[in-house]
Amino acid sequence: MNPWSGYALQDFIPFTADIYFRLLERMGEAFWPLQVLTMALGALAVVLALKDRGRLACLLIAPVWAFVGFAFFVQRYAELNWAGGYLGYVFYGQAILLLVTAAAGLGFDKASRRRPSTVLGAVIALAGLIGLPFMVTLTAGSWFQAEVFGIHPDPTAVVTLGLAMIILRGWVLGLIATIPAIWLLISALTLSVLEAPGAILVFTILAVGLFGLVWKSVERLSAG
Amino acid sequence: MNNGFTRRQCLKLLGGGLAASVMPSIRLLAANNDERLRKTFSGDQTLPVIGLGTWRTFNVGTDPQLLDDRADIVRAFFERGGGMIDSSPMYGSAPDVMGHALQQHGTPDSLFSAEKVWSPAGGSAEEQVTDLKSRWQVDRFDLVQVHNLTDWREHLAVLREMKAEGRVGHIGITTSHGRRHEAFEEIMASEDIDFVQLTYNITHREVEDRLLPLAEEKGIAVIANRPYDGGSLIRDLKDRDALLPDWAGAECGCSTWAEFLLKFIVSHPAVTCAIPATTQVAHLRENMRAGLKPMPSASTREKMVRYIESL
Ligand SMILES: NC(=O)c1ccc[n+]([C@@H]2O[C@H](COP(=O)([O-])OP(=O)(O)OC[C@H]3O[C@@H](n4cnc5c(N)ncnc54)[C@H](OP(=O)(O)O)[C@@H]3O)[C@@H](O)[C@H]2O)c1
Repeated sequence: MNPWSGYALQDFIPFTADIYFRLLERMGEAFWPLQVLTMALGALAVVLALKDRGRLACLLIAPVWAFVGFAFFVQRYAELNWAGGYLGYVFYGQAILLLVTAAAGLGFDKASRRRPSTVLGAVIALAGLIGLPFMVTLTAGSWFQAEVFGIHPDPTAVVTLGLAMIILRGWVLGLIATIPAIWLLISALTLSVLEAPGAILVFTILAVGLFGLVWKSVERLSAG
Repeated sequence: MNNGFTRRQCLKLLGGGLAASVMPSIRLLAANNDERLRKTFSGDQTLPVIGLGTWRTFNVGTDPQLLDDRADIVRAFFERGGGMIDSSPMYGSAPDVMGHALQQHGTPDSLFSAEKVWSPAGGSAEEQVTDLKSRWQVDRFDLVQVHNLTDWREHLAVLREMKAEGRVGHIGITTSHGRRHEAFEEIMASEDIDFVQLTYNITHREVEDRLLPLAEEKGIAVIANRPYDGGSLIRDLKDRDALLPDWAGAECGCSTWAEFLLKFIVSHPAVTCAIPATTQVAHLRENMRAGLKPMPSASTREKMVRYIESL
């Protein structure tokens, strides 16, 4: 018999909401004031993307993925969930994909500001950079719980999704968007099992992101 | 003859005195032992009817704040005469957190340590038990169960040998959420086991039909898991400010929903104990009060079901 048959989604979330929020808080406490630097890095990446310096933007955010993979997943989340270690490797994988994309200069697009996908990408990236940290007000937690780009996985994934939509196209866009989208799905499901109000927000951002990806493909097809 | 103390004796005395002064001992609180219901299992042994679960709630990793919070729960549990604590290799760091709590507050005689073997955790049953013992920092588990029947034939064979050699106290199997009851029943009927763990609460009573009568017939002790249906049952009643029936106090000594729901479970003649999990000392106190007599009679139990169905 397959040992996993008969398990439900909640069996894969082996902690309570307070434990998860403390994990977010411990990341905030452990690395403060690194948040200032990572947010500045994120903002710089968005500016570079809008100025058609996509390769540089990719290079900037690649180490951030490796850092979150190690500090959040391997060092901390893995203590609570055996899947944490594997997720760490997936985040390292995304860092490598970003580096290879930047180095090869593959699949980059002009960030025409009049294109709806560029606007949507910028909105998503800014939502990840500035909006997500305020999600902490929904749970009335301490400010160290605020989820920040480059420290916590959700904003890191959201900003990357937005940036990818601005600077990439075709299959490379799909490739770079896959891991952020999968993580956001896992995160939204986790939050919904924990009955955390942030679940709706993460599901919404993911849905808008996926809509944006489809839009960009259609946009390019009709342009081409 | 030398009547003085040797250096070794002095050190021992000093060490003992120091240990006594710094080791936080567990003080048994008020309730008279006669008021606490204990149920008999394996012939002549007894257990308090309210135990403690650790799924989700005790998986706090190395977070110092939460480690201390959970140690407080364990202390409050023992102060109220608590016995069974149930964990599993599936519960992440929960076994380590138990180890931390037992180191902080000592291991009282009342502890009845219940662990599990679970195939996806990797390693043989024997390796898992050895690893879990070092995580709890105990010499032996009172009970080791096959979690959710994974590879139950192989695991039960090993556990049976370990029991024969005195390396585990008792052995058993678990299921939950009403899963695989047919296979469960077959194992109960054909294998020599001491405990079964299954889901039983006032809204999930399927086990009353076959599994509980079979356990009674075969003298198998029963642990009721998910007594609050994972929390939703009691949270829903509390959030709705649902009122207890006016007969609850007189007929079964219930003044809270926790008592009402838990007393319903442990008053079933086949059930040995229920293992609610919690992260809050206030909730633990409520839960532990459910282990105090009086318990509902058979006719009151029927009224309890009808009352919950009417809400
Ligand atoms: N297959 C298996 O072997 C298996 C499967 C399931 C469960 N189990 C065992 O059974 C144990 C119990 O099941 P469970 O943890 O799933 O569910 P449960 O005990 O029915 O419910 C736990 C939830 O109830 C809440 N709660 C506890 N006391 C409360 C009170 N007095 N008032 C309000 N809320 C209260 C807790 O929240 P707070 O933290 O806010 O108190 C917690 O979220 C598990 O921990 C585990 O050890 C074994």
